[in-house]
Amino acid sequence: MSIELVIAGVFAAMVIAGALMAAFLRHVLHAIIGLGITMFGLAGIYLYLGSPFVASMQILIYIGGISVAMVFAMMLSVSMSVAALRDRTKTLFSCAAGALFFLAVFPMIRAGQYEAASPGEQQALPLTLVGQGFMDSYNVVFEALSLVLLAAILGAILIARKEKQPQ
Amino acid sequence: MTLSALLVIGLLLFTIGAITVLSRRNLIIVLIGIELMMTSAALNFMAFNRFIPGDGVIGQVAALVVLGLSAGEVAIFLSIILVLYRKRNDIDIEELTDLKG
Repeated sequence: MSIELVIAGVFAAMVIAGALMAAFLRHVLHAIIGLGITMFGLAGIYLYLGSPFVASMQILIYIGGISVAMVFAMMLSVSMSVAALRDRTKTLFSCAAGALFFLAVFPMIRAGQYEAASPGEQQALPLTLVGQGFMDSYNVVFEALSLVLLAAILGAILIARKEKQPQ
Repeated sequence: MTLSALLVIGLLLFTIGAITVLSRRNLIIVLIGIELMMTSAALNFMAFNRFIPGDGVIGQVAALVVLGLSAGEVAIFLSIILVLYRKRNDIDIEELTDLKG
């Protein structure tokens, strides 16, 4: 049981704990903090899987951007911040559906034969290959992603604009 | 950590995200559930990236694309939430039932 495995296990526990916080805590801010904890744990797991770049992007974008934007939206729509009544039947049925889905897919994961299922040496995957990949083989997806983000920004501005008052 | 363990973590994350979307009434928490489901897919990509022979680029590219797309989706979703709150003063999905048959 090496120390890297223990730390990776701690990060994995952080992922699940944050997700449970987001699912079951009543206040919106606690749920957003749960999302932040999940993303931080995922960044640790990505680091363990050899990609410090994706780990830092995860922290930057999710915790630094998306969680902050959600907190802003929470502050601007403050009527639901106070804990609403929880519908017990709905929660029970959704947990049952989730458990059913988990029990259905879990044997498929256990039964899969993964060839070459042992990782290489535990080292960081070279980042230069990712950069070159974005410029060479995966250029289309890179440019398409920037177009999608442009459209998203324009759409967000257009949607949330104040209506022009008729003069 | 074995590949199966990482995939099970991804499955658990997806399940909890689905439970969040199904059982919560606040639209922002529904958005959090959608984010959890998308990052479970990204975790799957990164897990297979490490354990499959190759130079390990495609998994990182896929995870970064998922990251970027979810950021754009959150922007749109939050602006819709703001407009809804401005018009209806409420983001409780039990109250937003205009399109219900």
